[in-house]
Amino acid sequence: MSKIKLTINDKEVMVEEGQTILEVAKEVGVDIPVLCHHPALTNWGACRMCLVEVAGMRGLQTACTCPATEGMNIQTETEQAVNVRKFVLELLFSERNHYCMFCQMSGDCELQDAAYRYGLEHFTYPRPYEKFEIDASRKYFIQDPNRCILCSRCIRACAEIAANHTLNLKGRGAGTRVIADLDVPFGESTCIECGTCLQVCPTGALIDVRSAYGGREKDVTHTQTTCLQCSVGCQLDVVTRYERLLRVDGIFGAAPNDGLLCVKGRFEPLYDEERQRVQTPLVRKDGQLQECSWEEALPWVAEKLATGTAQGLAATATTNAAFQAFGKLFEKIGDPAGLLCGTLPELGYGKGATIPDVLAADYIVVAGAKPLTTHKVVGYFIKRAADNGATIALVGEPENELRSYAQLNVSYAEMDKVSVDIPDAAAVVVVYGAGLTAEGIAALKPLAEKAVFLGLEPGRNGRGAAAAGLAPLAPAPAETRLVLLGEHPVKAAWVEQLNGAFTVVQASYHSPLTEKADVVLPTPIWAERSGHVTNLEGQVLPLQAALELPSGVRDEAEVLVALAKLIG
Amino acid sequence: MKTNLTQIHEVINQHGTNREALVEILRDLSQRSGYLTKEAMEVVATQLQLPPSEVFSVASFYTKINVEQLGKHVIKFCEDAPCHIAGGREIWEALEHKLGIQFGETTTDGFWTLWPTSCLGLCAVGPVMLVDDEPYGNLTPEKVTDILNHYRAGDAA
Repeated sequence: MSKIKLTINDKEVMVEEGQTILEVAKEVGVDIPVLCHHPALTNWGACRMCLVEVAGMRGLQTACTCPATEGMNIQTETEQAVNVRKFVLELLFSERNHYCMFCQMSGDCELQDAAYRYGLEHFTYPRPYEKFEIDASRKYFIQDPNRCILCSRCIRACAEIAANHTLNLKGRGAGTRVIADLDVPFGESTCIECGTCLQVCPTGALIDVRSAYGGREKDVTHTQTTCLQCSVGCQLDVVTRYERLLRVDGIFGAAPNDGLLCVKGRFEPLYDEERQRVQTPLVRKDGQLQECSWEEALPWVAEKLATGTAQGLAATATTNAAFQAFGKLFEKIGDPAGLLCGTLPELGYGKGATIPDVLAADYIVVAGAKPLTTHKVVGYFIKRAADNGATIALVGEPENELRSYAQLNVSYAEMDKVSVDIPDAAAVVVVYGAGLTAEGIAALKPLAEKAVFLGLEPGRNGRGAAAAGLAPLAPAPAETRLVLLGEHPVKAAWVEQLNGAFTVVQASYHSPLTEKADVVLPTPIWAERSGHVTNLEGQVLPLQAALELPSGVRDEAEVLVALAKLIG
Repeated sequence: MKTNLTQIHEVINQHGTNREALVEILRDLSQRSGYLTKEAMEVVATQLQLPPSEVFSVASFYTKINVEQLGKHVIKFCEDAPCHIAGGREIWEALEHKLGIQFGETTTDGFWTLWPTSCLGLCAVGPVMLVDDEPYGNLTPEKVTDILNHYRAGDAA
């Protein structure tokens, strides 16, 4: 990339070629207001807020779409540009209900900011707007068309980031509305509740039910952490206030998910968690689980583990450090430890892929995996690649939910139909999951030379557990059992399998398993965790606590190390 | 109204399944059956491999394409200045009064839909209205009554 020289607000600057005026301005610290523009979306040029004067060019130019070129002389705050912006704002304020004091976005609204910036102290035009119905048919967020400025950020986010195409505009003129599918209520639409539209909305037209009126930007704390709901390892911006979870946002530009989240990461942990927390250690006395102190519980557990046979079983919802400590503890006492959950089949060939590789692929093979159910963000990335022209081939997956995006849907025996296309493809990614059979592993082998392989690890931190030497282990008879559960949901089969031993469970929530346990040791939940996890790509990603650890709760790693010490 | 699948496929076959054919397909279908049913838009979306939301957005943008069921006959009355000066206001009121509905509405028996429209280019004979695609000029309240009765009678016959 070569550099170009241009002048912006009388300042001569050297910048990279191939940027828009808006990008150049941002780079050199000149603030041009925008409404329809969002850095994660395609440029639109519709709102006319970013109009600037360029010497020698007729009329004003939209900075968000106009390429910056050598020798340009740009003025961003001339009288003409400012007047046009003011005029646009006056029209926007006359078109719908923009009485800021009643809106939950007041203080954080991009429309309001622009109005203050350009000194709109009164309504210039009459406000003959009609009143639109509010759509509250979606569980997690509400749409209020009365606050909408039709910037279409939500529509572009739905199409370009989530690749879902649920949203579009209905009608034209002042009555234009953002609608879902064939103008059905959002709750009945093809919406996947990824929440990306909600995050990019510049006004109060899309409202998060939980965090609305819960605190302005200046009042809240942002913490970046890694999502623990599956093994993708999405980066989360956890928004808290007064030790309360307000909202989770995606982080644009942060790998692997680049801002895109799914309903499991963004909403469900905040809205749908109904299980009761374990607050303090519990021990069974006289047949009843009773509260006790850590000082009382740990020596007892240590003694039980040190005498007689023991077995350690872990779910995958915890940190790398906890798995390491778990492995070491059982190494020390000389008893077996492993995982409750299954893992990926071993391919024995092929190079690993990264999640962004999916977006860059022009040929994607899906085998033994249901990404739209188990690893949603990877599924959305596959849809995005399909939108950009990639060929999707399903192998041994006739009923896969991606079938409407697939050009090929073949059995393992018909792999030659896929192999024929491969020489013409530039970037081939194979996405496989726990459902891949031995036949599938053999069938995919010819792709190993050209393709990269993305294994959808079924355990949340399954790679972290594997790195600690933990492999799937069937529950075997033992006198003492330590179950490292964390906040993982309990499967009915586990409860049966674990009957009949002195059972210690490290868990965040009460469950049928903790009810049967002899000792329950409370663990942190995702938002309280520090440490690291390893995602399905093998990247070690940091966890940062957004909430303080409740006083009775201790991190599993710390507890396991303490147990090892007590055993001596 | 029942969606006529054969007709939809016939229209799509005629225009092809390129994205560019969308407006023509929608206009054609809307003209043939008066409006586009949701089922019709679903079929068009599937055949053209477009998101249903995009098909609906295009359909709802154009006034020549209807996404809601209209009356059997649609009156489009010119609301622009030349017709207004030539006595348009009386005709506007006469239409609302005689049909018992406001502009933008459909009579409860589903016979008439009353819409305002912009200039029809027939200013020389204003006030002007279209009934379906038939223009009527030099309107007076009496003439409006005759025209409405004429359609009613034609329908009864």
